[in-house]
Amino acid sequence: MSSTAFDFVLQTALLLGLAPLVSGCIKNWKAKLQNRRGPPVWQVYRDIGKFLRKDMVVSEHASWVFSYAPYVVFISALLAGLMVPMVSTQAPLSLFGGVLALVGLLALGRFFLALGGLDPASAFGGMGSSREMTIAAIAEPALMLAIFTVALAAGSTDLSHIVQATLGPAWSLLNPRHVLAFAALFIVLLAETGRIPVDNPATHLELTMIHEAMLLEYSGRYLALMEWGASIKQLVLMTLLVNVFFPIGLAADASPAALGLGLLSYLARLSLVAGVVVLVETANAKLRLFRVPDLLSAAFVLASLALFSTFLFQ
Amino acid sequence: MLLAALLLVPAAAGLACLPLRSHRLMAALVVATFGTTLALGVGLLHAVLARGVVTEFHEFLSADALSAWMVLLISIVSLATSLYAGRYFERDLAAGSVTPGRVREFYVLTPLFAASMFLVVLVNSVGVMWFAVETTALTSVLLVALYNRQTSLEAAWKYIILGSLGLALALFGSVFLYAAAVGPHATGRLPSFNWSHLMTIADQLDPRLVRLAFVLALVGYGTKAGLAPMHTWLPDAHSEAPSPTSAMLSGVSLKVALYALLRFHVLSTACLGTAFSRDLLLGFGLFSMFLAAPFILVQRNLKRMLAYSSLEHVGLICTGIGLNTPVTIFGALLHMGYHALTKPVLFFAAGNIHQTYHTLDFRRIGPGLGKTLPVTALLFGLAAVAAAGLPPFGLFYSELTVISGGIAAHRTGISILMLVALIASFCGILQQLTRILLGAPATNRPLASRPGEGVPAMALLLGSLLIFSLWLPASVQKLLHQAAGIIGGGA
Amino acid sequence: MNPAISTDIAAQLIALLAVLMLVVQLLLVVQRMLLTSIRLFAVQSMFLAGIAAVVAFFHGAMHVYIVAGLTFIGKVMFLPWLLDRQVRRMRIGQEIEPLVNFPTSMLTCGGLTLLGYIVARPFTSLERLGNNTLAVAITLVLTGIFLMFNRRKAITQVLALLTVENGVMLAAVALTTYGMPLVVELGIFFDVLVAVMVLAILVYRIRESFDSMDVGKLTQLKG
Repeated sequence: MSSTAFDFVLQTALLLGLAPLVSGCIKNWKAKLQNRRGPPVWQVYRDIGKFLRKDMVVSEHASWVFSYAPYVVFISALLAGLMVPMVSTQAPLSLFGGVLALVGLLALGRFFLALGGLDPASAFGGMGSSREMTIAAIAEPALMLAIFTVALAAGSTDLSHIVQATLGPAWSLLNPRHVLAFAALFIVLLAETGRIPVDNPATHLELTMIHEAMLLEYSGRYLALMEWGASIKQLVLMTLLVNVFFPIGLAADASPAALGLGLLSYLARLSLVAGVVVLVETANAKLRLFRVPDLLSAAFVLASLALFSTFLFQ
Repeated sequence: MLLAALLLVPAAAGLACLPLRSHRLMAALVVATFGTTLALGVGLLHAVLARGVVTEFHEFLSADALSAWMVLLISIVSLATSLYAGRYFERDLAAGSVTPGRVREFYVLTPLFAASMFLVVLVNSVGVMWFAVETTALTSVLLVALYNRQTSLEAAWKYIILGSLGLALALFGSVFLYAAAVGPHATGRLPSFNWSHLMTIADQLDPRLVRLAFVLALVGYGTKAGLAPMHTWLPDAHSEAPSPTSAMLSGVSLKVALYALLRFHVLSTACLGTAFSRDLLLGFGLFSMFLAAPFILVQRNLKRMLAYSSLEHVGLICTGIGLNTPVTIFGALLHMGYHALTKPVLFFAAGNIHQTYHTLDFRRIGPGLGKTLPVTALLFGLAAVAAAGLPPFGLFYSELTVISGGIAAHRTGISILMLVALIASFCGILQQLTRILLGAPATNRPLASRPGEGVPAMALLLGSLLIFSLWLPASVQKLLHQAAGIIGGGA
Repeated sequence: MNPAISTDIAAQLIALLAVLMLVVQLLLVVQRMLLTSIRLFAVQSMFLAGIAAVVAFFHGAMHVYIVAGLTFIGKVMFLPWLLDRQVRRMRIGQEIEPLVNFPTSMLTCGGLTLLGYIVARPFTSLERLGNNTLAVAITLVLTGIFLMFNRRKAITQVLALLTVENGVMLAAVALTTYGMPLVVELGIFFDVLVAVMVLAILVYRIRESFDSMDVGKLTQLKG
């Protein structure tokens, strides 16, 4: 029991601490790759800290939704994160339904994010919300299909079980359903975290922004929570990618040595995925908004193919 | 060395035409080539009658009665074509509708086209047979596009795209057949893909694979043979190609594709022991006949009408084989021969008409062809009457054989259907003919100078048609009976 | 390595490469850029060559290496180079307009994939390599045909034809392990090369004559 509590604390700390670092790393590496100096990797921490200290300006038209939304976004992302095994094969939290609850939590966060964008009735917020929901309508089924594919293969919807079932010789991970689901989830990751072919995290250009548009009215503590929540969500999705699909070196027990090794391997795989994200962001231009569904429907088809092949490539 | 010679002589002739400069020399060379292959074909006929099956190069090449029959058809049509082509292209060159380079292209590609057709019917391996059929498509497509008009490019494009797609499916069918040959236990030693070998193990092949293979081959080779509904390229290619090429395409190329299909048919009958492939052939054959008839009736373009008439005849041959009695198969094979002798004459005549009137539209050719081009009109009329199926020409007898054979086999319904389709197209052809052949020509029409009409080629074909209609040599009869025996094997 | 594991790995790799071929095919269906389409075809052929190489390696079959090599030289290097040059030389517009919009195309292809699996179902027991590679092969053929009818540019029709051919070759490996006799394989290889060259000549002439590569303009012949 004590180990569960320890896990709980450890993973929470990891999520809170690591998430801004990953965002910062991506920003920094992207700048390096483009021959710019870029912000230091710690910049996101500084930003969040600064936001936390600042006063808030809240629109007089805003209702309670506006002020609750940041907490819901933050907490739902954190809870979702606690359900994903990070360093060891056992996640500290297992809510009813496992992956279903995970997808539900992410959806809840997005729902409140969109509401928060709509609530102050500013033009940009509403636009951002509507765009976000349009994209989510296609990205979410793809996410669910991709996760269900691995769930089906493992015979359980509990993420810890899935990860344990996936552990095995490395070459067995190269099966079609796994690779297809991985590709689908990767595209979903780009869409959900507002990465470049879908959204540009580095711009506030009104014609194109999606995620940033919803945050325009936020300031101070709320903004800090929103940014932090977004980076946690990104970390959760990346963890899903690296741990569910390639759970190499995860700690099977709670011994410090195994945990240390697990952490190292986790960080290594995480930075690999972050590196790929950086490459994709650098090598591609942002898609026109109306073309985004094309990309996401490709993810959807990939995920459906993955699901097909679970049944058919037996 | 008979079979190898049949392949090498035309192939070498085609290549030999590459460096030549004189068109007359090329024409002579090609005529000599096909004269030789005809002689070789007759030799093969006797060899097959004497020995049953002729094989060469460890059975890589193999000829039975069916192959020998096809070789004869290919040779005679090619010979007539090359006889006709010389004068035809002289006139075209004079009129400036074709460049000398293109004419050389014709003389290079036509023998290669014929060589690939010989390869189809002579090779033993089903895989190489596919290769050969694809080669017939590749060598003929540039011939279809010879005039480089927009319409002929369109026709060539449709021909090659639909043909290649069909042949890709046929290759798929061949793959399934080979999978059946490999059997459930693959080893490093590849089994033979020879048709003769497959026939000996036909009863051990997986019936599901063979069934799938046949369906794919039917769609694939059926496209190339112009069976409806995969025929859409056929009228375009036949009408846009130069007349000599149209004659080759319609006269033999369709039948060579049909031959490839027949090999699959024989094999699947031997393996499945059911009416599966027969009924499919019957269905596609009847459908083609019925589809062709209305198009013949309403057609305004002479060569397109001829193309639809070819569709009709291919349908009849298919139906005859599908009926699967010795009599109907014999009739169908005989029909192949008579049709090969008739259809080129019609296309040659159409070529003369086109060069004179610069159009193939019935309304613009108008009445009075008999006055303007008397010899062409006479030969054209005779051949058309033959193609429509009137006595004393052989097509009448072969059609009668197929239909009566159907009735004798208690497939009266099918026979009546065939008869209806034949009568419909008969009316169509005659009605169209009367529009142009008879009557007084419209006055003061500018016409090209009266051409030499390529009479020898047409006379050769029509003469032999008439002779063989009235008197079929005993050796040919025996060959056809043997070939019918090969196709009807199980029955 | 013990033989059971090595066949397992081979099966896994082949299934993976086959599915990647399928993914590339789907990308081709939604690809708007002509030059990218050509490159995608090259990638697909590379996976095919990879499958042949895997078969050759794990089953120790020399002649399959030759097939893999020919596929690589012909379809990964030569044909894409030829088509690429053709496209550049003719300065064809880059964008391809499909007849059916992309989401619908995707859905159609999804349906065709299901159909492929259904058709391949009875034959799964006959496959010796990978699982359901045959289904992928049939799907490649079906989607290739769809691709052919969905695109109007002449070059894309050629590409579609080539993907159909890739599907057939995949089926050949899937169903018979060692492919077909070498003479047949050589024949197919040769024919495909010549076919594409002939098609390239025709495309060139069509381009000269119509001042366009739009096959939709080839509509003068009817009835």
